[in-house]
Amino acid sequence: MSASSPLDSRGLVSRRNFLFQAGGGFLGTALGGLWAQDGAIPDAMLGPHFQPKAKSVIFLFMCGGVSHLDTFDPKGNAHVGKFIDAIGFGDNLAEMKRPVIPCHRTFTRYGQSGIPVSDWFPHVGGVIDDIAVVRSMWCHEGNHFPAVIETTTGHRGRAFEHPSFGSWVSHALGSVNRDLPSFVNIGRPSSPVQLTGGYLGASVSATPFQAGEVPIPNLHPPKGTPAAERDRQMKVLESMNAEFRQRYALNSDIQARMKAYELAASMQLSAPEAVDFSKEPEHVKALYGMDEDITRDFGKQLLLARRLAERGVRFIQICHSGGGNGGWDAHGDMKSHEPLCRATDKPIAGLIRDLKQRGMLDDTLVVWTSEFGRTPWSQNTTGRDHNPKGYTSWMAGGGIKGGIIHGATDEVGYRAVENPHYYSDLHATILHQLGIDHTKMFIPELGPVSRLVEDGHGPIREIIA
Amino acid sequence: MVSGTNRTGVKFGGIIAAAFLAGGTLPAAEPAGADEPWWSLAPVVEPPVPALEAAGENPIDRFLEVERQSRGLEAVGPADKLVLLRRVYLDLIGLPPSPEDQQAFLADSSPDAYEKVVDRLLESEQHAVRYGRHWLDVLRYSDADERMTAAPGIHLWRDWVIDALADDVPYDEFVQVQLTGRRSDERTQMSATGYRSEKEMRPGDLFALGFLARGAGVGPQDLAINAVDTVSTAFMGMTVGCAKCHDHMFDPISEVDYYSMKALFDPLVLRKVTLAGADDLIEAGKVMAERDEKRAPLVKELAALLEPFKSQLYEERVEMLPAEVKEVIRKPEEARSVAEQKIADDYFPILRIDDGKIDEILPDEIRKQAGALKKQLGEVDRSGPRGPEIPVFHTVEVDRIREQEKSYVLTSGDAARPELDNEVQPGWPFSGGDYDFRDGRVEAFTDWLTAPENPLFARVAVNRMWQWHFGTGLHQQPSDFGKQAGEPTHPALLDWLAAEFVRGGYRMKRMHRLMVTSRAYRMASESGPAEAASQQADPGNTWLWHFRLERLEAEPVWDSIHAAAGKLDLAVGGRSFEPGRGRRGKEAATVRRASYMIRGYSPSRDLTPGFLQTFDVDDGRVPCPVRTRTVTAPQSLFLMNSPEIETASAALADRLRESAGGDLKAAVDEAYRLTVGRPPDEAETGRALDYLQGDPDRLKALCWLIFNLDEFIYVR
Repeated sequence: MSASSPLDSRGLVSRRNFLFQAGGGFLGTALGGLWAQDGAIPDAMLGPHFQPKAKSVIFLFMCGGVSHLDTFDPKGNAHVGKFIDAIGFGDNLAEMKRPVIPCHRTFTRYGQSGIPVSDWFPHVGGVIDDIAVVRSMWCHEGNHFPAVIETTTGHRGRAFEHPSFGSWVSHALGSVNRDLPSFVNIGRPSSPVQLTGGYLGASVSATPFQAGEVPIPNLHPPKGTPAAERDRQMKVLESMNAEFRQRYALNSDIQARMKAYELAASMQLSAPEAVDFSKEPEHVKALYGMDEDITRDFGKQLLLARRLAERGVRFIQICHSGGGNGGWDAHGDMKSHEPLCRATDKPIAGLIRDLKQRGMLDDTLVVWTSEFGRTPWSQNTTGRDHNPKGYTSWMAGGGIKGGIIHGATDEVGYRAVENPHYYSDLHATILHQLGIDHTKMFIPELGPVSRLVEDGHGPIREIIA
Repeated sequence: MVSGTNRTGVKFGGIIAAAFLAGGTLPAAEPAGADEPWWSLAPVVEPPVPALEAAGENPIDRFLEVERQSRGLEAVGPADKLVLLRRVYLDLIGLPPSPEDQQAFLADSSPDAYEKVVDRLLESEQHAVRYGRHWLDVLRYSDADERMTAAPGIHLWRDWVIDALADDVPYDEFVQVQLTGRRSDERTQMSATGYRSEKEMRPGDLFALGFLARGAGVGPQDLAINAVDTVSTAFMGMTVGCAKCHDHMFDPISEVDYYSMKALFDPLVLRKVTLAGADDLIEAGKVMAERDEKRAPLVKELAALLEPFKSQLYEERVEMLPAEVKEVIRKPEEARSVAEQKIADDYFPILRIDDGKIDEILPDEIRKQAGALKKQLGEVDRSGPRGPEIPVFHTVEVDRIREQEKSYVLTSGDAARPELDNEVQPGWPFSGGDYDFRDGRVEAFTDWLTAPENPLFARVAVNRMWQWHFGTGLHQQPSDFGKQAGEPTHPALLDWLAAEFVRGGYRMKRMHRLMVTSRAYRMASESGPAEAASQQADPGNTWLWHFRLERLEAEPVWDSIHAAAGKLDLAVGGRSFEPGRGRRGKEAATVRRASYMIRGYSPSRDLTPGFLQTFDVDDGRVPCPVRTRTVTAPQSLFLMNSPEIETASAALADRLRESAGGDLKAAVDEAYRLTVGRPPDEAETGRALDYLQGDPDRLKALCWLIFNLDEFIYVR
């Protein structure tokens, strides 16, 4: 925290104060800039600092904590039953000895790279040569909400309204599509923090989309409103507003309001088009698993993600099995992972294949992660506890090397020991691929305290192509 | 009764400069005059009112005119009467003027017609609902947050604030009661035999302490830390929070100052108060006893049934443990040392037998029996009388044991890391260190805080009131009067207002009246070609040469929509409501004012309604001294397509049809009056009638248009 920043109580306070301090100029730009004009992107507040590799990010967040040990980080069962020095997470933070439990998965080496992937992710195994598996992630917080806050905002705790990662990207780079928002969330998140624009304001917070007929709240006129009549109303409204707008022509707020209505109107047209899958061929839908019950829902969400990326949406966040602690929170029995893996495996692989066949994988970065991983031991069950000390995230496309493993956890998979990366290195890597220098990404008025990437070493160079 | 035990011993002025330098925390390169106190800490010296008679009677206008004149700026003329009426209604009570109010105001040609309106609005309890919302933003009212233990009953604190504003409780008392539960002259009493005792709190004032209780969380230090953070920003305009981790580099607050202030609040603990009457409590107890009695045999039977299996699992688990742990676990609890008990507690999660695990090893027959018993238990819980609801409230009180404990600096503000060699005494900055804690620590602090000599107390308050009326404070950062926040635009006016506030006995309504009856408040908001030079010279209107145009805040947007529809429920007080959540299947006939809409934070669900978030309302976890006003597409979508607008358009159309009969021109007239507070001009009427095409069924669509007018959502 910097005392030279004009922040408030706790050294930190709400965005209200910040925006106020930053002055009308900031606000004016922020809203005027929600949508890109032709050519240049006037709403790009910070970047790019150098030539970007990726245009869009599809960020797959598995809510609750995926077990790296049962998916991408095999450890064998040599240590089963051995008591290791451990710290409890979740409710019990005591230091104590805990017994390693067996892993019941079988691992297969896939592709040319021969990276082992468990029998829960056979389809992802099929595209492993496009993926860089980082096995040495860590964060501080060992419980869901604090860890989601930490991994979403780069800061621990909510004393200050730090924005979510997606809204930073939106703020920094703006949108290339004036008809769609630049930061979209699909699926129920673990926490509202994953959607917040924080002190960057409502204009860059996530717009929640859902795959279905009504992608955004209040998008469509109520039933019984004839479309032709609404068109007419919009024209009449303009003439009814004309005198007022002329009277306050110098007021930037009024200009922003005109733009907000234009955008609202164009979203009414563009958002349904984006969620309309009727022109997608059946073989593409099948690639995403939309022809099977277990993969249909997530498949639709990923197909929507691809369609939004195609339309220039910058940051598409997909939260899988969110709400509460998250569905991946397998304390009781690791078997609870199985349906979740099955629901996501084929759609994720389908997304990567589809992006590749369209030539989009080169400039679309796909990220797969959780707030933390799971422990080698259990809490007297056949499930695993939370493990922020070592876990796996992976990336594909967008200028990331495929078919490599980077970093490692210890012999039981508890701590990241080789090339450990604090979670913000993941953020820094994504930003780097988007052409942003993470050290320069902060709000000058707030000072370095507003830096998204608070800690860590910066981009993971070893996985960048 | 003995009153007047206000042993303040307040010291300002000379002391301030000394404390300032003694702190040794000033930036190295201090410009000339470093021994002068920072403006906000210097005593309020009432400046003479400028002798500019032409600027008007109200001293506010004379102070403003001095600044305008020196910059060659000329104030614009007064606003249209109805524009002003809508402005002052939305400002003071947050509601639009009715067509009758408009008519009456136009018809009143007496010179004090406007002042009469202002007085009437300030007397209305709806004024307190509106201004309560302003204060509660600053005091971080929230219905819930992830750590807030005082959430049940917290709305009673909101009710207290609103009642206090309605009664025009003086500001010093307003603060005193929220910090101590008592006015400073109502703390102790003397018996006939010379025995001094603490006075009983005025009954309703218990609820004022919700202000402090609201900060209590799961950690034992939360209450005190939140109290310091909120009290310092809200009432002192000092951001002491940075000093939690290090000496404040720019403001004269050291780390020790921060923890000294925290020590004032350290003895406070949360206490749950049951608000039910005796009969209800007895009744609820009976219901509980009856239920327990019915449950007891079932619980016993179930336990007996499962016990052997639980023991079996437990034994298996214990056998798994390392030898040294096993030994501890095998010892009877009373034979364990403290360290051993800690080990046993740490292993509790491993040895805990979950129902699910037992289920796996149960023979089918036993599982069936257990299932049947559990079902019966569920039936018992659902059957029988529910018993009366027992409402509760959380207050704070001094814990005599905690009061004896020492307070320490906490490393990086971490409650788990007190610096035992760094003890702090209760106190506060700028005081000179001369404390009298006979009435209590918080009481002594409150006396100092609310003393007329405290230059921050009145300045911060009048600046907030100014901001609420004029959009921007005379000092732009209402919760930061420190060195990072610069200086006020109109220091003389700010000081004059502060002095006037103290002179008037801290009556807030008196100050509101003074501000909204100024010429400055009554100016037009447009600037035409004639003002091009002013516009050029002062585009940001820093020198107040015209009134501002401002988007309505969330609450007046909501209230205006439902008021126009004739569906707004003006009830004052009570719990928060969640919009759209009526009784099952039934649409509520009326809608409460948005000041009562739920807001708060839950990590797992979106508690603050989408409407509020869309219109820039915080969740109340931290004080919000200034609301952002963004203009976004989701706001437009709300006004275009939300069910609220659909319902309100239909209701307003019904209302118009009813009042105007078949006269569509009258209906258009009424529609404009109910929404934008003025009749339409000829062109507007013509356009609306064209749109209606003589069809009364099209009125609903016209109402939609009017709700989507810029003018509806802006205050001129």
